[in-house]
Amino acid sequence: MAAFFKSRHRWKRTSCFTILTRNLTGKYDYDLVVIGGGSGGLACSKEAAQLGQKVAVLDYVEPSAKGTRWGLGGTCVNVGCIPKKLMHQAALLGTAVKDARKYGWKIKDPVSHDWETMAEAVQNHVRSLNWGHRVQLQDKKVKYLNVKGSLLDEHTVRGMTKSGKESFLTAKNIVIATGGRPKYPTHIPGAMEHGITSDDIFWLKEAPGKTLVVGASYVALECAGFLTGIGQDTKVMVRSIALRGFDQQMAGLVTDHMQAYGTRFAWGCVPQRVDKLPSGALQVTWADTRTGKEETDSFDSVLWAVGRAPETKALGLDKVGVEVNRETGKIVVGADESTSVSNIYAFGDIGEGRPELTPTAVKAGRLLARRLAGQSTQLMDYDNVATTVFTPLEYSCVGLSEEEAVGRHGQDAIEVYHAFYKPLEFTVAERDASQCYIKVVCERGGEQRILGLHYTGPNAGEVMQGFSLALRCGATLSHLKETVGIHPTCAEELTKVSITKRSGLDATVTGC
Amino acid sequence: MSLYEEVKVHGYAEFCKAVSDRKGKDIFAYFSGDKDADGNSWCPDCVKAEPIVRGEISHLPEGSVFIYCQVGQRDYWKNPNNDFKKTLKLSGVPTLLRYGTPQKLVEEECFKANLVRMMFTED
Repeated sequence: MAAFFKSRHRWKRTSCFTILTRNLTGKYDYDLVVIGGGSGGLACSKEAAQLGQKVAVLDYVEPSAKGTRWGLGGTCVNVGCIPKKLMHQAALLGTAVKDARKYGWKIKDPVSHDWETMAEAVQNHVRSLNWGHRVQLQDKKVKYLNVKGSLLDEHTVRGMTKSGKESFLTAKNIVIATGGRPKYPTHIPGAMEHGITSDDIFWLKEAPGKTLVVGASYVALECAGFLTGIGQDTKVMVRSIALRGFDQQMAGLVTDHMQAYGTRFAWGCVPQRVDKLPSGALQVTWADTRTGKEETDSFDSVLWAVGRAPETKALGLDKVGVEVNRETGKIVVGADESTSVSNIYAFGDIGEGRPELTPTAVKAGRLLARRLAGQSTQLMDYDNVATTVFTPLEYSCVGLSEEEAVGRHGQDAIEVYHAFYKPLEFTVAERDASQCYIKVVCERGGEQRILGLHYTGPNAGEVMQGFSLALRCGATLSHLKETVGIHPTCAEELTKVSITKRSGLDATVTGC
Repeated sequence: MSLYEEVKVHGYAEFCKAVSDRKGKDIFAYFSGDKDADGNSWCPDCVKAEPIVRGEISHLPEGSVFIYCQVGQRDYWKNPNNDFKKTLKLSGVPTLLRYGTPQKLVEEECFKANLVRMMFTED
C-alpha cells in the first residue's frame, strides 16, 4: 500500500503534461497502461484515449547485440516494414535504371549505388515517423514514457529508465504489446559477436559488402533481395525450405527468380562457426547436409534471419500468472486478446498463433480498446488477411495455400486455376518473366468459392489488396471470371484464369 | 538572464548565416510571414501562433538558440520555388522546427502549447 501512495506522489511531479481526462475508476492511476509502443501498442492507446480513457504507453528499446537502438514506433517503423520497403524500392530502381536504356534513356555505364545516401534518407524518414508518433500521442493525450515496463501485480506496472530509475503505475487494465526481436543462433560459436540481424541492417553506416544471409524466412529473402539489388555480393544459406508456412510452389518461384537475378543460394546447409580473420572479414564454416562435406568462405557481413523471439522474458509474466506457450514463449491469448489474468490482455506479435503483421496488430489494438471502453463487442477477424513478400520478384497472397486447401478439403474437392503471364513492361526491357505466375485455389463443387489467391509479379501488394476485399465478400470463381480486367495490367490476369492444374494443359498466357 | 539566445532574421540568406555562425548548437527556428510597419503579419495563422510559441519559450533548453525568421511577403511565400520551400522543405507558415532533426510543428500544430513545450523540453 505504501508503494501505491508513494507512486501517486511521484507521478504528480512528472504529470505536468497530463491533461485532466475522465478517470473512470478513480482508484488507479490509469484506466489503461499499454506496454509496447509499436504498431499495436500505439493504435490501442490512441484509440482508448480518444474514447475517453486515461492511458499511458510505455516504450523502450533494448539495444541490439551490436548496439543499435531506435525511437518510438516499434519494429515496423524502425527495423521492419518501413525501412525494408524503402530499401526494396532502392533495389527495384536499380533494375529500372537498367531497363530504362531499352526504353531509350541514355544512361552511362556503370550505374553504381551509394549506401550512405540511401541509408541516410531512409533513417531520416524513420526519424520523422518517430517524431510523428510522438506528436500524435501528445495530441491525443496519451501519456508516453520511455521506460522498460514489467508487471509487478495484476494492476501495477513498473517502469525502468535507461539509467535505472524506477517508477510505478497502477492501471485498471494492462495490455502487453511488446512484440518480438530477431533470434541469434547462440549455439553457433561467433554468431553473436560477429553477426548482425535485421535490427542492425537498416542502421548500418556503411554497405554490408559481401554478405551471408542465414535463414529463408521472408526477412532473410527480402534482405538478401535488396542487398543483391543494390550490388552487394549476397548468399542465402537455407537449412531446409524457404518461406515456411507459405505456399511452397510460390516460394519456389520466388527463390528461382532470386537465383536467376544474382543471389547465390546454399541449400541444405547449416552454419557451424563464425571466426573473425585478421583482415576483419568473417570466416564462416558450414556443413552441407546434402554432400556431408564441410565448407568455408569469408564474408564482410553475416546476417542472421533465423526467426524472431517474443519479448516476454523481462516482463514478469510468471510472477503475475500470465500463461505463456512453453515452446514459443508467446503469450497464450483468447479470441478477445485476453490472457490467463482477467484484466491483462496481449496482442500483436506477442500473441500465440497470431500473424506477425502490422495491420492485424493495429486493427486488433483498436478493437480491443473499443471493447475495454465498453463501446463494442466486436472481435478481431484474423482470417483472409492478405500479405506480400517484398522479394525482388514480389509475392502476394490471401487465403489458403494450395497445401492448406488440400489438407482441409481434400484434393478432389479443390480446383486450382493457374497461369504463367508476362508483364507488358518486361517485353521491351527484355526481362525474363518465367516466374511471373498466378494461382486461384477454389472449391471444386457448388459455387466454387475462392479459398486462396496467389500472385508473383510486379506490385504484388497493390495487385492483391482489392482481391482481399473480394475474398472477404465470399467471392466465387464466377465472380472472378465475370469481372472485366483492366488492360494492360498484370492484375487483369487474375480475372482471366481458365486452365486448371488438373487438366495438365500448358498454363502460359499467349497474347491478348 | 536568459538560458537561450534569440536571433531575429529576415529572409533565407540571413537565416542560413545565423545557422552557420552557430554550428554545434541546438537551434530552434520559428518561421513566420513578414510583419508590416504596424507589426501585423499577412499570415493569420502566424499571428495566432506567435504568442503561444512565445508563451513556452522559457522552456527552451539552456544554451540553445531561438531563431525568429520572417520569410518574406505573401507573394514570395506563395511561389513554390522559394528557398524555404525548396531547400528547407517547409510546407507552410508558421513552422517551428529543431534544426537538423525531423522535429517540427506545422501550422495548426503551433497553436498547441503542449506540443510546443514538448519540442522544447524533450530530446
